[in-house]
Amino acid sequence: MIVLQVITRLLAFVGKETAEILRRPGAALSLVFGPFLVVLLFGIGYQGYRSGLSAIFFVPASSGLPADLASYSGSAELVDVRMVTSDPVVAEAALRARDAQVLVRMPDNLQATLESGTQAVITVETNLENPQEIGYANLLASQISERLNRELIKTVVSKAEAEYGSRLPIPPDVIAQPTRAVVTSVAPTTPGIITFFGPAVLVLVLQHLAVTLVALSLVRDKMSGMLELFRVSPTSSGEIILGKLAAFGVIGALIAGLSALLLVVGFGVPVAGGTLPLIGILGLVLASSLGIGLVVALVSDSERTVVQLSLLLLLVSILFSGFIINVGEFTMPVRAIAYLLPVTHGITLLQDSMLYGTIASPAPALALGAIAIVTIVLGWLLLHRAMRPLAG
Amino acid sequence: MMPSPVIEMQAVTRRFGDTVAVDGLSLVVRAGLIIGFIGPSGAGKTTTIRLLTGALAPSGGEIRVLGEDPRRLSRRSRARIGYMPQLPSVNPELSADENVDFAASLFGLVWPRRRRRVKEVLELVGLGSVRRRLVGKLSGGMRRRVELAAALVHDPDLAFLDEPTAGLDPILRGLVWDELHRLRDLGRTILVTTQHIGEASECDVVALIAEGRLVALSAPDELRRSATGGDVIEVETTSAFDPFNLGEVNGVRRIERIGPRSFRAIVDDAGRATPDVASALAAAGATVASTREWRPTFDEVFATLVARASREKDESGSPAATAGLVPAPPASPPGGVAPSDRIEPPPR
Repeated sequence: MIVLQVITRLLAFVGKETAEILRRPGAALSLVFGPFLVVLLFGIGYQGYRSGLSAIFFVPASSGLPADLASYSGSAELVDVRMVTSDPVVAEAALRARDAQVLVRMPDNLQATLESGTQAVITVETNLENPQEIGYANLLASQISERLNRELIKTVVSKAEAEYGSRLPIPPDVIAQPTRAVVTSVAPTTPGIITFFGPAVLVLVLQHLAVTLVALSLVRDKMSGMLELFRVSPTSSGEIILGKLAAFGVIGALIAGLSALLLVVGFGVPVAGGTLPLIGILGLVLASSLGIGLVVALVSDSERTVVQLSLLLLLVSILFSGFIINVGEFTMPVRAIAYLLPVTHGITLLQDSMLYGTIASPAPALALGAIAIVTIVLGWLLLHRAMRPLAG
Repeated sequence: MMPSPVIEMQAVTRRFGDTVAVDGLSLVVRAGLIIGFIGPSGAGKTTTIRLLTGALAPSGGEIRVLGEDPRRLSRRSRARIGYMPQLPSVNPELSADENVDFAASLFGLVWPRRRRRVKEVLELVGLGSVRRRLVGKLSGGMRRRVELAAALVHDPDLAFLDEPTAGLDPILRGLVWDELHRLRDLGRTILVTTQHIGEASECDVVALIAEGRLVALSAPDELRRSATGGDVIEVETTSAFDPFNLGEVNGVRRIERIGPRSFRAIVDDAGRATPDVASALAAAGATVASTREWRPTFDEVFATLVARASREKDESGSPAATAGLVPAPPASPPGGVAPSDRIEPPPR
């Protein structure tokens, strides 16, 4: 009879929470489809390349280099050459006026410098604030230098051939650039932007939904007379935790299933590793996220606090989980925070499983299991304490 | 043989910081009674209920509910308790029957009994026709009745109802009290708080609470007598009359003049004293225009008793006794029987 009563209570939680969600389908749908629509827009709108830096070339009259715009237009990838001038004052004024982002100063008396056995220096001055663009200016400098070196070698070889009247067995182009690199992939799939980010969005949505829904539900019970009712009734704190987990486990599984279906059927994301690993990974992400949601609810004193904490968690997840920036690029203390998030391990596992077909290491799965156990036990302890009589 | 007490409170105190919310409360309640905790907002009624349900630990004193410490009630005992908290305990996004069904499940009612009881109890509180409507779309009074249904769905032996009639119109309040009387008649014990002092008459025992102290504990009629000092006969004569020489009449305790031709006689027993007063008036040459028993309202009774308790506290510098209605229960009642044990269930 006791077992029957426990099952009755657990099913009551499942029924109650499911009915609540079904009565507010708009909120759940927007939570699920919202992020996917953002990714879809991103995938459709992303061009795959960036616009180049705008540049002014200062070519001294005595440099011996060409001074026409066409000669420098292809001097580097993604560079937009605005002006070529031999007047340093005009060039500097244009840079300071932000008519261009970089000023490339070509070397003066190039031939004489080389003949004296000295390296000529190409200076790239920037007027930039964005660290990514400053980094790109460095790349630009190397590319211009490399291009100029190549042209110089070609010119020297061609001149020598003309001077000595014989052709070398190797063409000047090859002498100037003896090697070039070609990148090929052995990965089973070559994902596009949507395909690559899809699994990550699924994990992020699932974590956010699970945390928010279970935390809001429990904090509502806390703030209303429901917790008082739980306390008086023969329902234990363990049954409440199990009930909430069962309820939001079912709801989360439905949402995860629908979202995965949307990814595979709608966006063409492959399931290279098969369905079972996919279910297992989503189950682990769900369990660990629900555990975090329980803790969030039990340390919150209002629905507003829950929403604030959930959004904070979402922000931390986007920044540190590897969703945008690789986890390895962070210093260790910050990386440790990343490893406390289910989404960090979930993204690794799901991208491995769906896109690559095999999971590189079991560590992320073990980490998810550990997060789930620790947070659920902590949630249970916090609820147990909250249900104890308040000391006088 | 006297049934064992359902609730026992012995010198219970509860403090919140420097504030004393419940101050030395002692009472014993036996099964089959409606005991009303009556007092103004902030008097300590809800704190008392929360002490009895085990939500709060007392700062001092001892509490037993169904023979156990409410902080450590067994599952079996919890299943015998119904509770309607003051805060909303229903979910506005669920229908009335879903809410009551959830409460029934918490208390371990299994299908199909649960289904039957949910329907029954919603019919009992007059919500049978709207049981599938979302609680968020019900009126405040209807929501309160859904909460009452949720508290009673598992047919508890002991129900704690914190202001079940708050926000209800007089007709609905009457319906709720009818249901509570029906449950009481089935042998259930109901502890109910209310700010509607007039509802004292609906209870078998009234615990009058002010500033955390038990001002009085008695049956409603006894409470009334205590406030006035006895039964009150209001007499009107056809001409001006000086009533103060009636003080010699047997059974008359005190005379209060209320006009040149009217007065009130405070007597031991209105039924016995009325003929004697009429005879004395006739002997004094006065003609009686009308006599009737005067019953003060419970608001008047409450105001009188609270003022008296406050005076006594000021005079003695200690917490008031129970205003002479029921002797203040001693810390260790003689023979283990608290004075309130004398309050028996009403005849069926």
